[in-house]
Amino acid sequence: MSQEATCNAASSSIANETVGQVVDRGPLNLARILTNRWFLHTVSIVAFFSLWDWLARSNVLGGGSSALARPLEVLEQLAVLTREELAELTLWGHVWASTQRVVVGFSIAAAIAVPLGLFMALNRYVNAIVKPLFDLLKPMPPISWISISILWFGIGETSKVFIIVLGTFVPCLLNAYNGVRLVEPELYDVVRMLGGRRRDEILHVCFPASFPAIFAGLQISLSIAWTCVLAAELVSARSGLGYIIVQGMNLSQPAMVIGGMAVIAAAAWGTTLLVTALERKLCPWKRKIAGL
Amino acid sequence: MQDAARPRTKIEVCNLTKRFGELLVLDDISFSVAEGEFVAIVGPTGCGKTTFLNTLSCLLPASNGQILIDGTPANPKRHNISYVFQEPTCLPWRTVRENVAYGMEVKGRPQKDIDERLDHILNLVGLTQCANLYPNQISASMQQRIAVSRAFAVDPDLLLMDEPYGQLDVKLRFYLEDELVSLWRKLQSTVLFITHNIEEAVYVSERILVLSNKPTRIKAEVKVDLPRPRDFMDPEFVRIREHVTDLIRWW
Ligand SMILES: Nc1ncnc2c1ncn2[C@@H]1O[C@H](COP(=O)(O)OP(=O)(O)OP(=O)(O)O)[C@@H](O)[C@H]1O
Ligand SMILES: [Mg+2]
Repeated sequence: MSQEATCNAASSSIANETVGQVVDRGPLNLARILTNRWFLHTVSIVAFFSLWDWLARSNVLGGGSSALARPLEVLEQLAVLTREELAELTLWGHVWASTQRVVVGFSIAAAIAVPLGLFMALNRYVNAIVKPLFDLLKPMPPISWISISILWFGIGETSKVFIIVLGTFVPCLLNAYNGVRLVEPELYDVVRMLGGRRRDEILHVCFPASFPAIFAGLQISLSIAWTCVLAAELVSARSGLGYIIVQGMNLSQPAMVIGGMAVIAAAAWGTTLLVTALERKLCPWKRKIAGL
Repeated sequence: MQDAARPRTKIEVCNLTKRFGELLVLDDISFSVAEGEFVAIVGPTGCGKTTFLNTLSCLLPASNGQILIDGTPANPKRHNISYVFQEPTCLPWRTVRENVAYGMEVKGRPQKDIDERLDHILNLVGLTQCANLYPNQISASMQQRIAVSRAFAVDPDLLLMDEPYGQLDVKLRFYLEDELVSLWRKLQSTVLFITHNIEEAVYVSERILVLSNKPTRIKAEVKVDLPRPRDFMDPEFVRIREHVTDLIRWW
């Protein structure tokens, strides 16, 4: 934080406090390097890929050449997919197809569920009406809707987006609801003792206080969205990362299957980063927890 | 102070009783505070001082009896009340400056006034350099200073303070006690000041209410009729301080 520096400089006669930072730098020695975080990260990653490569080469898992692809084979396969089209789309086209479904479904769900969750927490009549329906549908796994949604909407985009909306709706709503419920009551007192109205309480306390919980819900929703899109694409699709995996399976190409899996992980990670960045922007006040 | 300068009653507490379930906390308390008076309240831990201020500011309902401000039932929406809580309470999503401004925003002051007042008040309590930090980046005593300045900033008619200076170091406490007194004289507001520090009570107030253990009643009332600025070593000051200390030998 740049402001901390200004605070540190020339403390006033009354505010004799400093908020500056001092970095604790000790001498570099072997023990420090061995226990360094980045060093350990590297060790674990390298060990993982070596073990993987060894397993694939030595064929201990059995299954002949189609059992497990080597890491480099996976990379090569992905490089091929970016050049050669699979069902009229390159790798990027498939990534975009899946991402588009996730973004559309996730946005629809968030746009409805977050305000609804806030309303439920703020108004007990809305709560009394929505809650029983919600509790009824909540335990149903979203993937169980795949067949019925294909019957209703066909195998196009709509059925996939529908599944995603169903899956992401629940955490979005629950987190918005709990975010408001768990606001510290003393903060309302600040508004009340100054003569604030209900509107002030909602705008200045409820909403900002529930932001972190809402964002936690969005993050959970996002990972569910990727699960849902994958499931829907595995069942029926002409494009998307799930389609690549299915093709890899049909063609007995483990490199393609694992490649698809890896790209899904990367894409899901990318969208998570976007939401994290948005949260940073909207909640600059949130305490950063070091090392997480 | 002269009785002629005591025209009106600001706060009238009539038979106030407060129970939490079976627990009787405030037991039929009645007293009044004149407009512009500075009253300190001392009492044992857990006797219901905070509870009293919470009922006065309508954060808690009274079980019985009522509190009138200017002759009408207390209501923060109507009366210009400011309350410094015992625990520092800042809105975590507002910077120091925005937190101090909050009271003025709620009361709908024009932005220009707010800015001018902010510069003055932040300087007064020594928060200028930390104005753009968030509450979780500053120490607890600085958070308490935010609460104090938020309360000062709205120029309240009625200022309630619940051990506001307990967290502060001695130097800052003396300084802010003087500031409080000068603010009180300038605005002619009414101040209710809760403290555990008897010296502080004698230093700032005109009258000290000594509360008993639960169920709480007013055990004694001590006038502090000393000229200002007050001197801690003044024999009369020391006498009053010792008198109050004797009164609160609760154990
Ligand atoms: N919300 C509540 N529910 C039940 N009991 C409560 C509640 N708030 C306070 N009490 C009880 O009322 C009594 C008075 O509490 P209060 O906080 O007013 O004390 P206090 O005089 O401010 O004490 P301190 O000097 O430690 O700040 C205590 O015994 C406390 O346990
Ligand atoms: Mg208290």
